[in-house]
Order: sequence, then structure tokens, then C-alpha cells
Amino acid sequence: MPPWSDFEPFIVSGLALGGVYALSGVGLVVLYRATGVLYLAFGAVGALGALTAWELGQKGAPGWLNDLVCVAVAAAVTLGYGLIFGPALAKRDPLVKAVATIGLTLVLYGLMDLLWTTSGGEARSLGLPTDNGGFSIGQIQVNWTQVIGLAAGVVITVGTGVFLRYTKLGTAMRAMANDREITATLGVPVRRVEAAAWLGCGVLAGVAGLLLADLVALDATTLTFLVISSLAAVLIARLRSITLTFAAAIVIGVLHDLLTPITSLTNYRDMTPFVLAAVGLLVMPRSRVMTQSREEA
Amino acid sequence: MRATLIRANLIRTNPQNATRQKPSLIKAAVIAVLLLFTLFALPQILSLYYIDTMTQVAVYSMVTLALGVLVGRVGLVSLGQVAVLAIGAWVAARLLFATTQPYPVILVEAGLITMAAGTITGLAALRLRGLYLALITLMLAGAITVVLATVNFPNGGHGFLGYNGSLVHIPPIRRPSIASTDPAYFRYAVIVAIVMFALAAAHIKTKPGRAWAAIRQSEPAALAAGINTTLYKLWALALASFITGVAGGVLAGAVHYLYSIDFPTQDSITLLAVTLMGGVYSMWGAVVAALLYQFLPALLNNWGVSADWLIILFGLGVLQVLTTAPAGLADQVPRDLARLGRLLRSRSRSRSRGRGRTRPRSAP
Repeated sequence: MPPWSDFEPFIVSGLALGGVYALSGVGLVVLYRATGVLYLAFGAVGALGALTAWELGQKGAPGWLNDLVCVAVAAAVTLGYGLIFGPALAKRDPLVKAVATIGLTLVLYGLMDLLWTTSGGEARSLGLPTDNGGFSIGQIQVNWTQVIGLAAGVVITVGTGVFLRYTKLGTAMRAMANDREITATLGVPVRRVEAAAWLGCGVLAGVAGLLLADLVALDATTLTFLVISSLAAVLIARLRSITLTFAAAIVIGVLHDLLTPITSLTNYRDMTPFVLAAVGLLVMPRSRVMTQSREEA
Repeated sequence: MRATLIRANLIRTNPQNATRQKPSLIKAAVIAVLLLFTLFALPQILSLYYIDTMTQVAVYSMVTLALGVLVGRVGLVSLGQVAVLAIGAWVAARLLFATTQPYPVILVEAGLITMAAGTITGLAALRLRGLYLALITLMLAGAITVVLATVNFPNGGHGFLGYNGSLVHIPPIRRPSIASTDPAYFRYAVIVAIVMFALAAAHIKTKPGRAWAAIRQSEPAALAAGINTTLYKLWALALASFITGVAGGVLAGAVHYLYSIDFPTQDSITLLAVTLMGGVYSMWGAVVAALLYQFLPALLNNWGVSADWLIILFGLGVLQVLTTAPAGLADQVPRDLARLGRLLRSRSRSRSRGRGRTRPRSAP
């Protein structure tokens, strides 16, 4: 067992990573509750945004514009997909809706690999201005990007909680999570509420893509499949509670990074989200309700 | 249930079904001709590059067959089938290095051990349904990939894992003595695939197939009809794991050297995409899917086209299948061709009729 001081820097990086996973997880849960779609292309659209931002950066565009473009691209693709395929698949099983987003993931992934070839290409990086500044707690160096990562997770979780609880749109989303048909009968413009959920999820995907490109790596494959870690958090929360999603995401992020200095386990650290999700899902009580068509969550 | 009975009666009394005997005979003849062509003519025609590719097609047709049974017949979506294939390949490679047993025995053993692994996992995972089940298979596949990356495939080393990182001359994984050349091994792989297709067909046409169909349509209704849904779902998982395990065994001999980077988690996702595109409701779909998954990339590679276009195509294919053509290419292409044929025939008929009589086209 390495000394405690070896673990300390990994707590910071783990918290930052966990924060971004939490932000992604909250985006996934809100979209799932409002539209019934588990958006598996979340990582891919974030990667697309980040790579577009990198391309602009190479052309000499200012940093703030790149960041904005990253979020805008992710939001636009997500909203576009939601507007086209959302209504077409609205009445289908959640499983079908989720598999359809795999289609989008593959399209985006192929496109990114075509435009920004990963094999043999130069290592790309997308730095944020906040990488340079920072402070230290005792021996541990903390940079502002890591602070932003964790803070974004906290702010988005709390903000979304408040939004769902107190605003009209949030109430409409919660109503749709319960029953889309009845909500529509009550005069809620379901299509518009769904579009808002898609847009919000897309914006979060863009932010997550930007932060993960900085914290982890700017690489289409890595970013596309990093969504699986957030997915694990979402699964532990049973696609329902955003507080639980946040907690699970932080645990996944911190545990993953804390395993790094332990030599016997370091190769297995990437299993953290999978194992936690598998255990989380399997020990959870079996739901008693068996419905004909709708997935009980 | 009543609706099903009524539908069954309708089918039975439908006069068109009296003529179904003939098409099934034609179908059998077509299959026989295709198989003979694949087994005897194809290895003569193709270059070594394409023979290797077609061996992969044979291997992956078993994998897509297994996934097709799960998705199309029972309604269980697995996002981790490539990990199951990797388990089969690992077990077969380990046994091939450790023992001198004949190849078919190794294949059956690899299948059975993979089946045991799949069934035990399934026993736990079947507490979940639908979306959750699909995602947990993705998680398990991810975990298996990570373990494989550390454990590595056997390369003739000693110990349980059979891996020796400092080995300089890595022995190739052996092939059966009757099929040591590439064309012979291709035939061998096709024959194994035929046996697996027959095994799946035997299941689909008998009691388990009927139980699966009931479960796919509605699990509560199947339960109400007295079907042991857990048993039959497990059965399907066991069959799919067995077939995939055998496919892994064939793959081990085909490539001679196995590396964990050849089984990434994302391939399971692509595999589901091509399986859906090929069509999950017919066995032809499995063959189409394997061709899409292995033959098309080899073809494009030969032409110098990036494989990324294929990934994009697969993505679009999934979206198209889910929105408009649930039965995939295996169903859509023949139907569209038939429709085209009818259209052409009616066009030519109306033209010949138009020549005979000068009736205005806009007449009601």
C-alpha cells in the first residue's frame, strides 16, 4: 500500500472527474425522465463539439469563441436529433429509443474519425485558460479547471433540482416523466417541453465534452465512450434521482483515481464504473410491477 | 392469446398457404446450392485475402446468429456480445495450448464453458429487464475488456492464464490437422457455422422457439399462459453463449494469434448495429450482418476507402431499421425487389394493354 501522500493528488483529480460525470449524469437523467430516451450519444456529441473547437483554435480563433462553439455544436446536434427522431420513436419502448441513439453515436464517431484521424495523428489537446492558475491545499496542487469540474457538477445538480421543483417548465418535465399522454391532455405543449429537454441535455453534453477534453484527453474514442462512466452513475440512481446520480458519479470518479497509485489494482481501475454499476443494479430490489409496454423505472 | 389463436386460424385457413409447400422446396434448393457453392467453388475463386475475410464472415455469422436469437426471438438486447466471443476465444486458446484434444472437442468445450459463464451472469442479470438488462451487458462487457487487457490471451505460457510476456517466439494457435491451410480452414469454419445454424433452427422451430416468441410479444401474457419465462430466457442466453463460444474457438484457430485490443467494447455496439441492420427475425439476417461486419470493411480496405464510412453507414442503418424497417435488410431487400418486380410487370402489362386499347390513363 503506498503512503497516503501518494493518494492526495488523485483525490483532487477524482473529484474533478466525478463532478463532470455528475453533470453528464444529471443531463442524462433529465432527458430520460422527460422524453424516455437514454441518450447514449452524449459523449459523442461532446467529443464532436470539443474537436470542432480544437479545429477553430488551430485556425486562430479566440478561446472563448471555441468554448462557445463546442457547446453550440453539441446542443445543435442533440436538438436536431431530438426534433427528428424524438417524435418518430415517441411511442416505442425505451430500449428501442436508446438503441436508436447508438445509431447517432456511430454516425458521429465515424464522422469524427474521418475528419480527425486518431491513429498516427498528432496528439491533440484542448487547454482551458484555467489550467494555469490554481492554489495548493497543503502539498496538493489544484488548478482552476479541476475546481470548475467539481463546481459545475454541484451547480448543475442543485440548479437542475431547483429548476425541476420550482419552474413551470421543470414541473412540465416532471409531469411528462410520470405520463406523457395525460400531460398532453392537460394542455402541456409536450413537443416543446421535450425540445427544451433535448436542448438542455445538448448544452450539458457540450460543457462535459469541453471539460473532459481538458481533464482526460481530446480523442474521439475516449470521449465518446467515457459516457459509460456517467451511465454507470445514472444506472445506480436507476435513471431517477439526480442527487443519487451526483453521489454515485463522485464515488466513481474518486474511486477510479484513488486506485491509480495501487500497483496491484491500477490496471483494473477502469473497471470501477462497470463493477459499481453491476453491483448497484444487481443488489437493487426487483421491481414488482410488470407492465405491458412501458419500462418501469 | 385469443388474438394469436385467431391469427393462427387465419393462417391455417388462408388458401394462399396451400401453395407454401413449393416455396419451401425452392428455399431448400437455394440453400443447398449456396452452401455447395460456398464450400467448393468459393475457395477456388477467391484470393487468400478474401478467403481469410470469408472465414471471419463465417465466424461472425455465428456471433450475429446468437445475437439475432437474443434480440429477435426473445427480445433481450445484449451490448456485450464481443466480450462473450473473447471469452470463447480465450478458453479455446488456453485449451488448445494445454491439451492435444481434437479440435471439435475443444470447440464444444469452449462453447460449454462460455455457456456456463453466460448462464451464471444471466442468472443475476435476468433480474433486470429491457433497457437495464442491455446496459448491464454493456457494463459487464466493459469489465471483461479491462480484465482481458491485463490478463492477455494465452500465448503458450504456463500457469492458469497461460500468458508469458517475455516469450520471444510465440507459437501460433493450432488448427485442426485436416484444415491447416486457409481454404481448408474456411470450409471447416463454414461447416461449424452450418451446425450452429442448424442448432439455432432446431430451437426456434420447437418448444423453446414458441416460448421465446410468446415472451417477445408480451412477457406478462407469456407468464399468464404458463410459460416459465426465467427458464426460457436463461435457455436463450445459454444457447447464444454456447454458439458465440464455439465461434470464439473457430476464431482462435483462424487468426493464430489473439490480442485483447482486437476485442474492444465498442465492437459490441457496432455488432448490435449490424445485427439489427441485417435483420433479427430471420437467419439470413445473421449472414447479411456478418457480411456487413467483415466482408464490407475488407472490400473497402482493398479499394482504399476509409472504414469510417462504414461506421457512419451502420449508424444510419440502425436509425433506418428502427424507424422504418424493423426486420432489417434480410426482409427489406427481397420485399423491395418483389415490389420492384411487380411494378415492372404491371408497367409492362399496362403498356401492352395500352397498345391494344386507347383508353385515357386518367380514367378512374
